[in-house]
Amino acid sequence: MLKLFTDTDTDTTPQIAAEYGYSLISMPYSIDARTVNPYEDFDSFDYHKFYDTLRSGVIPTTSAISKERYISYFEPDFAAGNDILYVHFSRAMSNTFAAMDQAVAELREKYPQVRFEEIDTKGISIASLVIVREVGDMVKAGKSLDEILSWADREVDKFATYFFADDLRFFRRSGRVSGLAATMGSLIGLRPIIYMSPEGKMVSLGTEKGRFKAMSRLADEVARLGEDISAHHICIAHTDAEDMARELGKMIEEKFGKLNIEYVVVNPTAGSHCGPDTIGVSFHAKNR
Amino acid sequence: MIRGGAARLASNRQAINELNVFPIPDGDTGDNMYMTIEDGSHADGQTLSEMSKSVAQGMLLGARGNSGVILSRIFAGLAKGFEGIEVASQKQIEDAFEAAVKEAYNAVPQPVEGTILTVLREGVEAALGSSDIDEFFARLVKGMDISLQNTPELLDALKKAGVIDSGGAGLLCITEGMRDALHSDVIPELPQEGGPAAHKVDFSSFTEDSVLEFGYCTEFLLRLQRSKVDLDSFDESVIKDYLSGAGDSLVFFRDGSIIKVHVHTKTPGDILSHCQRWGEFLTIKVENMTLQHHENNMDQRFKKAGKPLGIVSVASGEGLVRTLREMGADEIIEGGQTMNPPVERFIEAFDRINAESILVFPNNSNILLTARQAAALYDKARIEVICTRNLAEGYYAMANIDTSKTVEEIVSSLDECLEGTATGLVSVAVRDNEAGLKGDWLGIYDKDIVCSLPSKNEALLKLASVMGCSSHDVAVIFRGEGAGSDEAEELLVAMNRQYPRTETIIIEGNQPVYDYILLLC
Repeated sequence: MLKLFTDTDTDTTPQIAAEYGYSLISMPYSIDARTVNPYEDFDSFDYHKFYDTLRSGVIPTTSAISKERYISYFEPDFAAGNDILYVHFSRAMSNTFAAMDQAVAELREKYPQVRFEEIDTKGISIASLVIVREVGDMVKAGKSLDEILSWADREVDKFATYFFADDLRFFRRSGRVSGLAATMGSLIGLRPIIYMSPEGKMVSLGTEKGRFKAMSRLADEVARLGEDISAHHICIAHTDAEDMARELGKMIEEKFGKLNIEYVVVNPTAGSHCGPDTIGVSFHAKNR
Repeated sequence: MIRGGAARLASNRQAINELNVFPIPDGDTGDNMYMTIEDGSHADGQTLSEMSKSVAQGMLLGARGNSGVILSRIFAGLAKGFEGIEVASQKQIEDAFEAAVKEAYNAVPQPVEGTILTVLREGVEAALGSSDIDEFFARLVKGMDISLQNTPELLDALKKAGVIDSGGAGLLCITEGMRDALHSDVIPELPQEGGPAAHKVDFSSFTEDSVLEFGYCTEFLLRLQRSKVDLDSFDESVIKDYLSGAGDSLVFFRDGSIIKVHVHTKTPGDILSHCQRWGEFLTIKVENMTLQHHENNMDQRFKKAGKPLGIVSVASGEGLVRTLREMGADEIIEGGQTMNPPVERFIEAFDRINAESILVFPNNSNILLTARQAAALYDKARIEVICTRNLAEGYYAMANIDTSKTVEEIVSSLDECLEGTATGLVSVAVRDNEAGLKGDWLGIYDKDIVCSLPSKNEALLKLASVMGCSSHDVAVIFRGEGAGSDEAEELLVAMNRQYPRTETIIIEGNQPVYDYILLLC
């Protein structure tokens, strides 16, 4: 039997996980010296409260999880002899995968008959969620593990994500975006447009002046790169900025007609890096 | 003699502060040494022995900072040397000074040469074998001076900063003052000391995002308690060993049941709880050294090694001054519409920044010329005057500085970004005028009054429309001291409704005269 895993950094909630039968690995963040494991330490994410705390100036940190924790997630399925497919957020963004690799190596030794595969979504938040959903759909449609893996080889690079953040302090602090101009531009409404690169990293492509222009730029990128959009999942994510997210949705639908856009709140761990009032879009594209 | 030494130090303490680079550039050596010796200068006693003991006791309790603590040990050593002596012979004086050297070295677990310790030791060595006290002090001062000039050869940090050791310089001052007091019957008056509370500390220099770079300067007096230790057999090296491992720049000594500690640490709480197992605290002082460091940058007492890029901005209004500092302005020159600073202010600011290139934001058309004149006169750095005609433009330009670029690139990018911006002002009419009535709010754009309306928000909205707000991407509104935050909140809602495609940002400028400054970009 095939067992699916994903993690909370992919914006997969317990509800979405249940739709497809994913097991959820909780990626922790720390705020005020308290570590929180999403959907293990709480049932539903109170995102107004979380992002308001960030607005007040608190910058949370995120941390890797231990080898032992990975073992406790995976071992029951290794022991049961299930095949395992883990669809995870970008390896290039966290060193948590070093601990995972150790855990998996140990488990493979202990249970040599078990097949463990992974799909690196080369993204985070909705950049991963669109792929988590596509994979889930294929499993539901009865595709084999090999069919899914060869789909991922071709298709992961064809899910593009573009976004911008309101307050660059969060990205500066986490150091996870390359190419950011060393200015205080967010004070005067300059918004760096950031995309998820084929290597699974966040890269800034220059700035747009003001929110409206920045949103137009995202819609333009969807129009420029989009391929077969309506046949795939398309998500718009926000960090407690739903009005802006809906407006971006409207701008995109003005170009493509009515789409089945899923509006998503960015999970707190990824949100710790981009801060409140970030919006972005993930869609199927010619290339990233 | 002590007062003579203190008075001499008092008149030189600023200069000594400026020398301070070791162990951290916090620029307070002169202050610390002065406050320490000042506390020793109220001593009394009939005999030399009583007097020196009283001085040492006063300084023990008053000792501040690394150099202050060492200074207090020097006098404790002298007091030990003079113990039981009413009037000292030349030999006894020299013995006492040797005891002082020993005591000072003992106070520091890892003595560093090229500091106050070296200056003291070499001075005393040069003075030994004198025939009388005059010769002794003359040779002591000369020996200390030679030693002091040599300190940069012993300590790299001094050489790099191009200075001599500050603690040693302070000690030389004190010794010179004592020498001069030998034959003077005038008891010098000492300046009143406000103490550390009088220091202006700028908390904004340590923000939510700051990294604790220098740790905390932690000083305390611990009274060993009978209930916790066996006082007679207690070996204080237990505490000293613990502290050596727990922090840097340790100065430590015991006087009876009192332990004096000066240590730099990132976790003062750990050290304090740990030390409480042996006694109770008489005094505790903990200061964030990043603030100390920065405070001195702000007070311009600390001569920095030249940095690549500095920023001078002219501003008035508490909120804007703070904001501009947070944005990276090294020097703010107080000035504006009604107060145009002279050329000297700029030159002084350039000197204090000590950077290879300096960007100047005059932020007023009347000040532009002065800034350019200052730039032309100055030859110690490359000065670039950015043509910002008002505070809003200054703010906008500063936010656009990309510090990863070269100065040429920055200057041309700033000139470029200022093109296409427009600034308007809202201010209350102080008399009836052709456009409206006294008490109305005027919208001013390009020196013309474009509207006169009964509320400042209406005036701003009208001004925005006259200035063509809808064709701009961002509207930045600086809220002046005359505009309330509720009013500004209402204004934001109205702007968003009227100009959905323009992002409105409100900044607390607290500037005088103009209730709102509107910058369209």
